[in-house]
Amino acid sequence: MKKCMIFLEHEYLMAGVDLLEVVRQYYSQANLNDSIEGVETYGVLFNHKADMLQGYFDNIIRISQNSFKAYDLKSVTATLEKVCKQYDFDMILIPSTWQGRMLAPRLAIALSTGLTADVTEIRHEKGITQLVRPAYSGRLLAGIVNTSKGPIMMTVRQNVFHYQGERSKETFYHDFQAYDPVGNSIREISLQPKEVSFDIRDSSILISGGGGIQKGFDELSQLADMLGGHVAASRRIVDAGIANREIQVGQSGKTVSPKLYMAFGINGAIQHVEGLKNVKYIISVNKNEQAPINSLSDLVVAGDASIFLKKLIERIRDYKEKSS
Amino acid sequence: MKILCVVKFVPDVDNFNYDFEKNTLLREGIRQILNPDDACAVAFALKLKDMYPQTSVEVITMAPLSIMPNVEDLARLGVDRCIVLSDKGFSGSDTYATSYVLAKYLSNQIFDCIFSGTHAIDGDTSHVPAQIAQRLDLVQLSNIRWVEQSTFDKTSCTVVIEDELFTRTYEVDFPAVLSFTRESGYKLPYVKRENMYMDFSSSIHVLTLEDLSIHPSEVGQEGSLTKVVNTYTKKFTAKDKKIVSTDEEGVEAVFEFLRDKGLIT
Repeated sequence: MKKCMIFLEHEYLMAGVDLLEVVRQYYSQANLNDSIEGVETYGVLFNHKADMLQGYFDNIIRISQNSFKAYDLKSVTATLEKVCKQYDFDMILIPSTWQGRMLAPRLAIALSTGLTADVTEIRHEKGITQLVRPAYSGRLLAGIVNTSKGPIMMTVRQNVFHYQGERSKETFYHDFQAYDPVGNSIREISLQPKEVSFDIRDSSILISGGGGIQKGFDELSQLADMLGGHVAASRRIVDAGIANREIQVGQSGKTVSPKLYMAFGINGAIQHVEGLKNVKYIISVNKNEQAPINSLSDLVVAGDASIFLKKLIERIRDYKEKSS
Repeated sequence: MKILCVVKFVPDVDNFNYDFEKNTLLREGIRQILNPDDACAVAFALKLKDMYPQTSVEVITMAPLSIMPNVEDLARLGVDRCIVLSDKGFSGSDTYATSYVLAKYLSNQIFDCIFSGTHAIDGDTSHVPAQIAQRLDLVQLSNIRWVEQSTFDKTSCTVVIEDELFTRTYEVDFPAVLSFTRESGYKLPYVKRENMYMDFSSSIHVLTLEDLSIHPSEVGQEGSLTKVVNTYTKKFTAKDKKIVSTDEEGVEAVFEFLRDKGLIT
């Protein structure tokens, strides 16, 4: 029986549940209909009742710690090290969040095991199961294996894997009483939720702009509104300070899966394309007919993105006025 | 006050070319640059030195000797001491082995704080700073966008961090590992005219396996706990696409497409 542990953060519980899909793909040898057999799953979290996780995991380990601080990863590591040593997991999965990315490397040292960062794919090849991750800002994919005797350990890129299995497990709850952290070297002064109007990962229509529409970027929202979608951006636009990092698509931004992705003036370097997963329709507008993104598009408009945007807005407005 | 900056030189990936026909990455002739996040760490350290002249800044990097010209550039900018950990035996080290080498050096140093970047643009694992912190038993914070300079003294400082959901402000006691992000915008200064042609070789030190008392089996591929078994370039399956222009016909084609798929209601 393989024991797989998934670390769950309060703000990202469902992102943790999605990692069950990684477990399934790793142990099921690519047969999509296989359920996870011979595997026992453990969700691990601090100070939380975890009712909403009922049925997803075989086991939930609830760690209680009086002065738990999620941002003090040195202490979190010390506690999790004890849990891991007690349960002797075969696999440890941690979502690639701000905390997860600080936690996993520390825990890997504590457990003397190899760690693979930001996994986006599980690949079975010639009897070897590889953890695939992007390197060189997404320009290259590397297949990685753990060569240590320790558990297989990885952080997993958010929104790439989606768990669609049953929620009918009989979940057993285990309580783990942790000592208070030693020391108090980090103190929280303030915590302000960001004003994120919308998460582009939830959008089914994304109107996205890149370097080729830098000047007319603001007009993209008109088209987005008309189609009931949202505006997204490439790294160039974000680096230029025109749009917020929250709406960036790509390797250093978010992975999105809308029904429609319209790319205005986006060249589509591989690190941008890396952020598009299971997009149904892609329309790209680009002066450069050879732009890489065009090779993924259903429809390519060769020409100036700003000009075309204005014309298309006009055409749709016209249609809507006539039909209303 | 002594600040140690742990940095990495990386290929300038933004200038990689990709051959989409052959699905290959063209990596030849790419110059090495200081990783952007790490450059912000060094820049902030030099800013502190400007403010408190008694501050000394040391840069530590693990790299092949071909990196020396880049290291000299840092010395020219005002970095007091540069340590290059370089040995043929280090090549092929994963983050586990790399953090071991760096921690081995750092554990014998006296310092107030360690600065680093958050992500590197080549490997982009973000492992090494956190792993150094773990090995040295220090706290670490990543994604630092802003340090309140007036709060920075020998004992602690206040930092502002942004993650996906929150803007976070923390007070951190030293010693600690502070990992900056390039969004902090801290920029390296320009070289002062008098430093332009000065010889800085006396402030640069190269240390090998032997100098660090590391056994060859602890580093390189042998000392690593992960292995890259294959690399892939992403395969693009070309769709059956239609190409139009921005004329009326093109607008109509896109409009029809959207309406057909039920995307305009």
